[in-house]
Amino acid sequence: MSATDTTTQERPIGRRGPYAELFFALMRSGTFLTGFAIVLFWVICALFGEHFTPYDPLADDIINALSPPSAEHWFGTDQIGRDVFSRVIVGSRDILTVAPLATLLATVAGTALGLFTGYFRGIADDIVSRVLEAFMAIPVVIVALLAIVALGTSKATVIVVIGLSFAPIIARTVRSAVLAERELDYVAAAQLRHESAFHTMFVEILPNVIPPILVETTVRLGYAIFAVATLSFMGFGIQPPSPDWGLSISNNYGMIGGGFWWTVLFDALAIASLVIGVNLVTDGIQGALND
Amino acid sequence: MSKNYRILDLIRRNRTPLENHLIDGLVDGRVSRRDFVRHGSLLGLSLPLLGRIGMAAGFGSMPSLARAQGAPGATIRVGSSVPAAAIDPVTIADAGGLLVMQQVAEFLCIDGPDLVLKPALAESWSPNTDGSVWTFKLRKGVKFHSGGEMKAEDVVASIDRLADPANSSNALSVFTGILSKGASKKVDDYTVEFHLDAPNGNFPYMLSSDNYNAVIIPASYKGDYEKSFDGTGPFKIEKYTPKVGASFVRNDDYWGEKALPERTEFTFFTDIQPQILALQGGQIDIINQMPVLAGVALLNDPNVDILSLKSSAHQQLHLRCDDGPMKDARVRRAIALSIDRDKLVAGLMKGRAAPGNDSPFAAVYPSTDASVPQRKQDIAQAKQLMEAAGVGKGFKMTLTTERYLEIPEYAQLIQNWVKEIGIELDLNILDQSAYYGDAVFGKSNWLDSVMGITDYGHRGVPNVYLAAPLKSEGTWNAAHFKNKDYDQLATSYIAALDLEAQKATAGKIQKLLLEETPVIFGYFYDYLTATAKGVAGVQPTAMSQLFLEKASKA
Repeated sequence: MSATDTTTQERPIGRRGPYAELFFALMRSGTFLTGFAIVLFWVICALFGEHFTPYDPLADDIINALSPPSAEHWFGTDQIGRDVFSRVIVGSRDILTVAPLATLLATVAGTALGLFTGYFRGIADDIVSRVLEAFMAIPVVIVALLAIVALGTSKATVIVVIGLSFAPIIARTVRSAVLAERELDYVAAAQLRHESAFHTMFVEILPNVIPPILVETTVRLGYAIFAVATLSFMGFGIQPPSPDWGLSISNNYGMIGGGFWWTVLFDALAIASLVIGVNLVTDGIQGALND
Repeated sequence: MSKNYRILDLIRRNRTPLENHLIDGLVDGRVSRRDFVRHGSLLGLSLPLLGRIGMAAGFGSMPSLARAQGAPGATIRVGSSVPAAAIDPVTIADAGGLLVMQQVAEFLCIDGPDLVLKPALAESWSPNTDGSVWTFKLRKGVKFHSGGEMKAEDVVASIDRLADPANSSNALSVFTGILSKGASKKVDDYTVEFHLDAPNGNFPYMLSSDNYNAVIIPASYKGDYEKSFDGTGPFKIEKYTPKVGASFVRNDDYWGEKALPERTEFTFFTDIQPQILALQGGQIDIINQMPVLAGVALLNDPNVDILSLKSSAHQQLHLRCDDGPMKDARVRRAIALSIDRDKLVAGLMKGRAAPGNDSPFAAVYPSTDASVPQRKQDIAQAKQLMEAAGVGKGFKMTLTTERYLEIPEYAQLIQNWVKEIGIELDLNILDQSAYYGDAVFGKSNWLDSVMGITDYGHRGVPNVYLAAPLKSEGTWNAAHFKNKDYDQLATSYIAALDLEAQKATAGKIQKLLLEETPVIFGYFYDYLTATAKGVAGVQPTAMSQLFLEKASKA
């Protein structure tokens, strides 16, 4: 190894590693911090919400159903008299379980596929890429509905469906990054050392394509939140009496025409705020990586 | 008022023993005026005659049902659900389709909102002594829209078509075991006899609007009803566009009083909310069927009138009797005792319902034994029953049901109530096709679930509710309830011609079902129709039919 090589690969005294650099860049990013604060708020609500809600989010009070917002019920009550504020606070739990797990599944599957197609190229790449493109041409909701009809309604089904639906998108991003990386010398060096393809893909190349994967994952998380809310709205996946936001909107949207706006508005705002929070985090990470 | 025995004796001379027994019941006070009119109409006594008997028995004159006639010539616009399949009198089974069909085609008799049968294409009817043969006299001079006169062969063909298992008729759910193919016989051009498989005291209801398939159409009908929409009704088809709507014009050759509206227009909607907005925005005049929860905004809208019909429609909560902890009737009773029916009526149904007493005998039925005590929420007693059944610590199970009307909210209330007696309930709320499946045992979430909630539409008599979901061999017996005593009582009730005999059997059935509780009948909900202010003369039925011949707009 030459002296020049040594200077590029060894960290000079006083300089931070790339992840530490990223961390400090994020800490300086107002966009990231704002988004992170929003997401953190909903995560805390998901984990500990029931300890600071004024009412049991599942307790009915049918005689006081559809009461408008008041000092007693800040966000009013729903069709069977449950406190909407308490339900909105706790309602992040399902979406913050299902959406991240679905995104994680998509990331793992998509990364593996992207590494495979990008590394091997040729006929394997052509076949897998065409299959993935065909899969991506079908709307997620249609795929989800078909899968749920076939597999039955459950959170696990929703996680698998959304995860596998998003995997091709992540695979395409990873493939692009791998195509560039595989031409670099360190890959050729690994091949000269007779490292296995698995080792080269996952030990040599993968660490160098983490940044685009990170960005794509956070983008997908935002879409996954929407997808989970959409499926809940359509009545698939999460079951009553869960205070899940999409499910609550689905159960109550028919009441808007009657003037009972509070049964829907706050859940919709909660979904919007979480998606905005995730998007701000994504923008922050992207900005930090570009810096 | 005093009784006029001379007139009563004169009337009694020409009446059958069964009719005289009913008259005696009214005179002795054993039968109320309301029940007398309902059951008298079933036996074929005309409304004017029932009125004369009532006056002679000292009840004063009957309240007039006549309304001030509105202005003729209006176009009445109705919002309704989309017909789910091709409209055919033999197979139709959905509210949207039967509403369209009922605008042009008529029944032998009409089951009114008060459950009193009124003559339509039949002028009168009467049973033989044991109720196994019913004879219907047809109205003369009734013309089909296609031109021919309606006669006995048309009635025989129409009803025979429905009773034929080869036709996959929807009416087989009513006729099976009661009226077989070939049992409808022409006596002369205007008289038809129906020879029943077994005596049946409520048979005229099965040829009335209560059996929405039983419209009379020409004997020559070969199918494809949407091409002709032939019938005898006060309106004729003008245009029908599947999935979009239909319009009708007044039939000037109608046998009865000519319809007031010049035209009627029906717009199909896939959901209730657009109908509500269309009514509020003035695009339609009537919402035929308005679920109470979805339409709660209209209940207090000063620009909307709500027509509310007491009905026997309800949500059945079935409890599997053949497996698991609910095999013990004490556990089933405990679950029933955990339910707060007053809150269901006042809160969930906004007062537009009547509490149920865990049998199909709704308050609207004249045969219901009102002396049977009403079951009420009693958590302490429910806990005792759970302890006695050895499940005091509770258990876990799943309630499977359909996403329809207020059922998801009802399920969540039950979930909270049974929690108080230690039962942890998971909910599995499915769309309707997934819930009903193939609607046969082994292939249906409805019929195979341990606990489920199922919507049952209105019926003018409780026969279907007593048989299909509760008899041992019932085709809709989701509770898997098998009880020989019950089967005998149900058969006996269905055969009974006499109101007092029906009442006595009903009381026994009510008590048996309270003890066994295979099905929880939490409430019977009202059938609601919403009309714009100024629209008058609209007559809905709880079977989703809408009679518009007397409708007008201010």
